[in-house]
Amino acid sequence: MTAVPAIERRRPAPGKLWQSLLYHAVMLTFAAIFLLPFYWMTISALKFNAEIFANPVSWWPDPVRWENLAQLFMRDDFPFLRQFMNSVFYAGSVAIAVVLSCSLAAYAFGCLRWRGRNLVFALTICALLMPTIVTFLPVYLAWSRLGLVGSYWPLIFPFLLGDAFFIFMLRQFFLGVPRELMDAARLDGASEFRIWWQIVLPQVRTALVIVGLFAIVYTWNEFFGPLIYLQNREDMPLSLGLFTFQSQRATEWSISMAGSFFTAMPMVLLFLLTQRLFQQGLTTSGLK
Amino acid sequence: MGAVTLTGVRKLFGTMEVIKGIDLAIADRELVVFVGPSGCGKSTLLRMIAGLEDVDYGAIEIAGRDVTELAPALRGVAMVFQNYALYPHMTAYDNMAYGLRRAGLAGAEVDKRVRATAAMLQITELLPRRPKAMSGGQRQRVAIGRAIVRNPEVFMFDEPLSNLDAALRVEMRSQIARLHRELQATMIFVTHDQVEAMTLADRIVVLNGGRIEQVGTPREVYHRPANIFVAGFIGSPAMNLLPANLHRGAALELGWGTRVTWTAAVPALPDNAPVTLGVRPERVSLCDAARAQASGEVTLAEHLGDETILHLKVSDGVSLTVKAGGDVAALVGDRLHVAFDLAGACLFGPDGRRIAPD
Ligand SMILES: Nc1ncnc2c1ncn2[C@@H]1O[C@H](COP(=O)(O)OP(=O)(O)OP(=O)(O)O)[C@@H](O)[C@H]1O
Ligand SMILES: [Mg+2]
Repeated sequence: MTAVPAIERRRPAPGKLWQSLLYHAVMLTFAAIFLLPFYWMTISALKFNAEIFANPVSWWPDPVRWENLAQLFMRDDFPFLRQFMNSVFYAGSVAIAVVLSCSLAAYAFGCLRWRGRNLVFALTICALLMPTIVTFLPVYLAWSRLGLVGSYWPLIFPFLLGDAFFIFMLRQFFLGVPRELMDAARLDGASEFRIWWQIVLPQVRTALVIVGLFAIVYTWNEFFGPLIYLQNREDMPLSLGLFTFQSQRATEWSISMAGSFFTAMPMVLLFLLTQRLFQQGLTTSGLK
Repeated sequence: MGAVTLTGVRKLFGTMEVIKGIDLAIADRELVVFVGPSGCGKSTLLRMIAGLEDVDYGAIEIAGRDVTELAPALRGVAMVFQNYALYPHMTAYDNMAYGLRRAGLAGAEVDKRVRATAAMLQITELLPRRPKAMSGGQRQRVAIGRAIVRNPEVFMFDEPLSNLDAALRVEMRSQIARLHRELQATMIFVTHDQVEAMTLADRIVVLNGGRIEQVGTPREVYHRPANIFVAGFIGSPAMNLLPANLHRGAALELGWGTRVTWTAAVPALPDNAPVTLGVRPERVSLCDAARAQASGEVTLAEHLGDETILHLKVSDGVSLTVKAGGDVAALVGDRLHVAFDLAGACLFGPDGRRIAPD
């Protein structure tokens, strides 16, 4: 411990203080601009439909209609809870599928040496350049022949076969794992599968979580796939369910807003909880 | 037991031949050191013996068994890597136990062996720690422990000490020598460090460009280098290699005109044959102008305390290194005279091979 009082050393110079105030003022303004729609959504969820469009604008619901929330869970023309669980299932399955399949592929591309590896990797990257819409029709027909349209198979199964973007991303992390670690494990008698699972994956945990989060956010908002493959209201994820509800009940704004609130909330929470991990993932390589 | 035999071993990366035909027999319980310039293929050769690189041509035998196509774990070898390569997410205990568990040993047996090895290396208190919470020297000891615990027939070390500071290096060096005595196992050791090579090795293998230049005891490669490459590579500071012409009647005419008498026997060569005289810096001594066999200006003076390394420019393109006493106060720019002690000198023929002493 030094004898120098910490407070004295930390007091900013007057010039610094102004700089800091200005900086925070600017940041707070931008934050407010970005938060405004979210705030609007939240208060609209608690208003009468009429109040939403009131002029002058009402910035606080009067009265606060908690009943709107209760309604959201009770209406039989909008199985909100069911669709929420569908979304959780859909996003969770895709995240797990992506992490497993892409990390296996990334291990093969980043950690193993085999003939034709670079060619196959280049072809995989080429898949990134192919818009989904191009392959869409034949893929739809195939699923239709299999009789699986209307289920989640066409939405989840493709991710078990890997995804070019996530393979590319994970490979970068796998390349950073020291080759000697795998060599040591080979000398210790571990199989390639075991090396992938027990030695390499623990070194890239952060990357796996990041990929999983990306997949969850992507799937949570995914609209086109479910729109094509799912018809029953009970089967839809929220992204599609909310849209369907809005297009059928165009005037019930407060219910849509309540639905939107609960659709957006999980992603906001997820981000707030994992923010630190995102930063960590960016600053440390997860090694050493 | 743990003899290692390489026959005609070659390795290509793409079209680049990195190991160009190695024949080498390492006896059981021998400690062999691979030395050579960077990129000469030391690590590649070691990894081929371990089974971590495929052998393109040739065969490798360990303990009388052809292991050329065998998986690394089945060869009875263990390796210590330069950067230790400890599994970062496991404790020292789990690092050491990993291979034993893969081999299917029961928990009690694993525990017994890990603890016995840890006690032998005095790392018992490190067992619950992860590599991140250890110093470089401690990691090194755990890495050695991980190799020992599997009780292999052949140990391989790829520059294991180069990440340690000087004092620790000396300590670990003696520990490896002690381990070699106690374990009675074959060891192959790769190093850049001359002192490590000279002090540890039963035999030194000098590699250059994927080929073996010489195999011999430390004394042999130092005093009887097979060729100019080995002469220049082994020893620090390096041996002086001086252009000369050998005349009949045992007169050696040095590049700058001085004639000296060469008394040792040499094979028949045409008169005036171009040869190279190799003289170790410690065999060159300062003298007065009258007895001088060479004179030159000091271009660099390294005062090391107990000795002084002087670099002299004798003539264009010929420079000399002299190892003089620590009390020599010569400075850059001084003109000095030297004489050679040819008793321990070597003579290399036009093809670069040693012709004397034989
Ligand atoms: N995987 C690889 N692919 C292509 N070339 C390689 C590969 N590994 C090694 N090489 C090449 O093989 C040659 C020998 O490499 P190696 O690592 O065995 O040298 P080394 O003697 O251990 O060098 P150092 O003393 O620097 O460790 C080098 O020219 C290197 O570039
Ligand atoms: Mg090397």
